[in-house]
Amino acid sequence: MTQALFEIDRLSGGYGSGLVVRDVSLAVGRGEAVCLLGRNGVGKSTLVKLACGVLRPAGGTVTIAGREITGRPPSDNLGAGLTYCPQERVVFDDLTVAENLTLMRDNRRLDAFDRFFEVFPRLSERRRQHAGTLSGGEKKLLSFVRGLAEGANMVVIDEPTEGVQFENVVRMADLIQSHKQAGMSFLVVEQNLTLVERVADRIVIMDHGDVVHSGAAADMARDEILSYLTV
Amino acid sequence: MESLVVTQAINVAYEVLILAALVLGLAVVMGLLNVLNIAHGEFVMLGSYTAYLVQKAGLPYLAAVPAAAVVCGAIGVVVERFLIRPLRYDPFETLLATWGLGLLLRKLVELGFGRGYRSVDIPISGSINIFGEAYPTYRLVLMVVSAVVLVALFVWYLRAPTGARIRAMVGNPVLAEAVGIRTRQLARNTFVAGTAWAGVAGVMIAPLTPVEPFMGLTLIVNSFFALVVGGMGTVTGLFAGSAIIGGLQSVLTAAVSPTTAYLAMLVLSILFLWQRPRGLFPRP
Amino acid sequence: MLTSLKTSRRELLRAAGVGALAIGAPAIIRPAAAADTLKIGVLVADSGPAALFGPAQRAAAEFGAATVNAKGGLLGRQVEIVFADAGAPPAEVAKSAVKLMLSDKVELIFGSHDSAVRQGVENVVKGKIPYVYTPCFEGDDCSSNVYFLGETPEQQLQKALPKIVELAHGKTFYLIGDDYVWARTTNEKAKKYIADLGGTVVAEDYYPFGAPNKFETSVAKIKSAKPAIVLETLVGGDNVNFNRTFADFNLSDDIVRLSCLLEENTLAGIGKDASKNLYSSFGYFADIDLPQNKAFIAELAKKYGDKAPQQCTISKGLYDAFVFAAAAAAKAKSLDAGKFGAAVEGLTFDTPSGPMTVKHRHTDKNIFLARCDGTKFTIVDTFSAVPTQQACS
Repeated sequence: MTQALFEIDRLSGGYGSGLVVRDVSLAVGRGEAVCLLGRNGVGKSTLVKLACGVLRPAGGTVTIAGREITGRPPSDNLGAGLTYCPQERVVFDDLTVAENLTLMRDNRRLDAFDRFFEVFPRLSERRRQHAGTLSGGEKKLLSFVRGLAEGANMVVIDEPTEGVQFENVVRMADLIQSHKQAGMSFLVVEQNLTLVERVADRIVIMDHGDVVHSGAAADMARDEILSYLTV
Repeated sequence: MESLVVTQAINVAYEVLILAALVLGLAVVMGLLNVLNIAHGEFVMLGSYTAYLVQKAGLPYLAAVPAAAVVCGAIGVVVERFLIRPLRYDPFETLLATWGLGLLLRKLVELGFGRGYRSVDIPISGSINIFGEAYPTYRLVLMVVSAVVLVALFVWYLRAPTGARIRAMVGNPVLAEAVGIRTRQLARNTFVAGTAWAGVAGVMIAPLTPVEPFMGLTLIVNSFFALVVGGMGTVTGLFAGSAIIGGLQSVLTAAVSPTTAYLAMLVLSILFLWQRPRGLFPRP
Repeated sequence: MLTSLKTSRRELLRAAGVGALAIGAPAIIRPAAAADTLKIGVLVADSGPAALFGPAQRAAAEFGAATVNAKGGLLGRQVEIVFADAGAPPAEVAKSAVKLMLSDKVELIFGSHDSAVRQGVENVVKGKIPYVYTPCFEGDDCSSNVYFLGETPEQQLQKALPKIVELAHGKTFYLIGDDYVWARTTNEKAKKYIADLGGTVVAEDYYPFGAPNKFETSVAKIKSAKPAIVLETLVGGDNVNFNRTFADFNLSDDIVRLSCLLEENTLAGIGKDASKNLYSSFGYFADIDLPQNKAFIAELAKKYGDKAPQQCTISKGLYDAFVFAAAAAAKAKSLDAGKFGAAVEGLTFDTPSGPMTVKHRHTDKNIFLARCDGTKFTIVDTFSAVPTQQACS
């Protein structure tokens, strides 16, 4: 493992006073993709929300490139080199597809997104539509493209393939792979093994708010993974 | 008769532009933040009193513009911090809270200045001939200022991403934070921009109306109608609402009678509330 | 954090409408009662559009009570004021009047408010106790046991109009007013006087009462119609607004304006730049040069100091009401409706604006025609004992 870019150290927290996540640690190296797996409701989304500042952790630290960002407002993430794509309400429904993409840019030109539009022509066709009119899968694609295009070193994505068609899942995997080669790191919360098998360098499995398995993806067979995901 | 038509045509344009200037602050806060600031008229009133004080102090009238923006902006900051933000920008709760705020501001001004009318002298006297008809210079200046501000705002809104960011923030605050929008500051700045502009509008109209603590109550009525008809959250809606309400009232007043004009406006607004509550050009 | 919008705007706007209706609550102030005092209910504008006059009304009433008490009281009893707010809707004020009679046991009611409120109060008082109505009004009310001290349109216009025609060197009139009974009645009566003078009315405009009115349109029409005189029956803010717009359009040099409701506060709003060739016809101005008035103003200044509220005909009438009631009661030796009513006819009493004589339950009185000089009134003519032309028995 190369030197860690993104480190979660003994992070705890949840909603209100209840702890959903207890003392979880994990690290993502440069150019590495870590897939976080687990059954529904074991605290995967809570963990990434705590890590990205959407929820305030009760304990533990989060560092990126050696800088601690624990408890900082999420609006500071990008400055620190961190992008977060949430699981729900993934796009701005009131804005057009184009506005969703250019929202934080200085101009409204879409040239920078041409390479993504080539992969997902659907988004280009719908760029003038309000994002609220897109299907669930299309919204996920839009959120994914927005996240990659922000150009942060570390991308945290929560369930990127929910509702996405198989061929587009494959294309997403290809994009992640090519961005990894360019030095980008990923932490992906995922249920879809199609994506996991294509991109994961390491696999972390959670249960009951804790990490129950962590290891190189190459060492894990599909059946072994599935055994963790079914009751 | 022709000269009357010319003057009345300018009157229509004047009424539309002045109304648009008054609606602007309300439209920003309502259209973008979903906060119907019932105390908007009181911020206009405070702007007018600021103008009165500036003039009384012997300062140039233009000094009232920054002064009113600062006064109303500063009150806006306090109101946002201690009223709007604690109520999480909830449309209903802030509506009630700003209603109470309006009451409080009127009462405070009444305590400080009394109920009596104050008059602010017209800063630019005289008239200019337009198509052979003399029209008061100050009103023409106001028309130009209002038109320039609205066009500038229109262009800015089209080009600058701030408008889209505000909409993004209101629609999906979690994601907005995640993509790097500092939602607290943006919401506060938007609200304060609305109140500060209301103060400036108060400076603009102060020489034209009786300045008294309750002036905001009547001023907000037409602004409210214009918002209802035009639709909220778009500059087009603001233009359309002001044009229809201001224009209709002005034209019907001239052609039929002022009472008919007012009734027509009420009926139109009720029809809109009933049949098309989002107005002509709402934010999609 | 922001909450996203879930409630529809339609509901929101409805709520706003409901909220707007809830403005204003009546306030009743009741000083502790002393034994065998004679309580008088006084309806003043603590809230509502006329609240501007509230402080001056209270001051005039309190001074009126003090004056009566200093002279031995009314029917030998010290008087005590129970104020109630007349700024609420008529039905609310009527309830306050009922409360004044039943719970406070007032034996007289004085009121300075609009006619809609007066009718509401008349309906509940039903002539059981004397009710003295003090401000200017449109006339044509003979409800029993009600006494009218204010100016009627006939008083304001019959002598003033010929004088204005003389000052304006012209007899063409443009009438502009608020769209309600006082303005319309005043204008109907004005039209008769104008016809008698051989004058003409070129146009009439009425603006909705209490609406956010603008007057550019009418001013443009006036500019085009070129009347010699504009007769104004606009009230309060509308009066200020119109006159400022009128002057902004540079019409004040050539056209004379006579306002039927222009007192000191409204003139302050109109301002010095907009008051050229503007006249007012009223039964009282705070600056009239009469010894009675000098004493009145001086006493108020002594009592309230710098904070003495600006007096005008609308507030000063409440002082008159005390003088009138004391004089009438002394003559009738009773507040009984029949005796009181019979005694007042022909009664003369002195007020800050000079003597008033009761005729048909109204008062013949001095009428002053004043020219605005800046934000001050200069009396240009005084008409003595102008009759009201009212015929109440």
